[in-house]
Amino acid sequence: MANGNKKHNGELRTCTWVWLIMILLTLVTYFSNTLGVSNLAISLGVLLLALIKGHLVGAYFMELRYVRGFWRWPITLWLLLPGTLISIAFYLTSG
Amino acid sequence: MEQSNRYPPGDLAIWIFILAELAIFGIAFVAYAFARMYNVELFNEYQQHLDRRSALANTLVLITSSYFVVRAVHAIREDNSRLCIRWLSAAMAMGALFLLIKGAEFAHHFALGINLSTNTFYMFYLFLAIFHFMHVIMAMIILAAIALKARRGGYSARDHRGVETGASYWHMVDLVWLILFPLVYVMH
Repeated sequence: MANGNKKHNGELRTCTWVWLIMILLTLVTYFSNTLGVSNLAISLGVLLLALIKGHLVGAYFMELRYVRGFWRWPITLWLLLPGTLISIAFYLTSG
Repeated sequence: MEQSNRYPPGDLAIWIFILAELAIFGIAFVAYAFARMYNVELFNEYQQHLDRRSALANTLVLITSSYFVVRAVHAIREDNSRLCIRWLSAAMAMGALFLLIKGAEFAHHFALGINLSTNTFYMFYLFLAIFHFMHVIMAMIILAAIALKARRGGYSARDHRGVETGASYWHMVDLVWLILFPLVYVMH
């Protein structure tokens, strides 16, 4: 029982850190835009931060890190597939 | 939460629904990016007209609401229905704040006569934003139904699949916004 509570508290503490990290990454995303620079690297960097946040939501908040087999991967695939295609579209318009 | 489960938390049906929803949003995001290829200047110009501060506030609000839902799930796993209801209520309050901020943004656009046929950028922006807005409303209704059932003692540490099901849907709504925000408001 004590071990269960300890594990439970540890999971909650991890999720609190994940929340704080996502807040920080969101602020970085917002302020990157205030630099006023139209740059492919910045746009792709911002997209990468969004994909990392999406992974954190899937793995920690949706608890997919505890899932094995097929159901572990759909969120990751959902992030990677559109993420790659969006990156290609922005790359092609960067001149 | 036990290690190495075969299925994600909550009802499997909601996960099939979540994947279908994500597929629709994913296609719309890619369509936005490729439509932008043919209208780069138009997209860059009208993107500047959007209220980025509101979008930032809404991103922080949704991330926080998702964290509150995580707390609600943990509370019911500890057999604490009252705490679970409090966290669910806090998450719904965050959802209401999101709707308020986004509603004000829509009101501003509509007052200027902007609609889906104004131009290609606004067509994508309004479609994505309104479609997501409707999902937030739906997710709030689901959380409210769960909170009501929890109030009647419908969930416990042994049986809380309903809470996990609603939580998974709420996180999906958050997940979609996490991509929508940089794509439509920031990347140019």
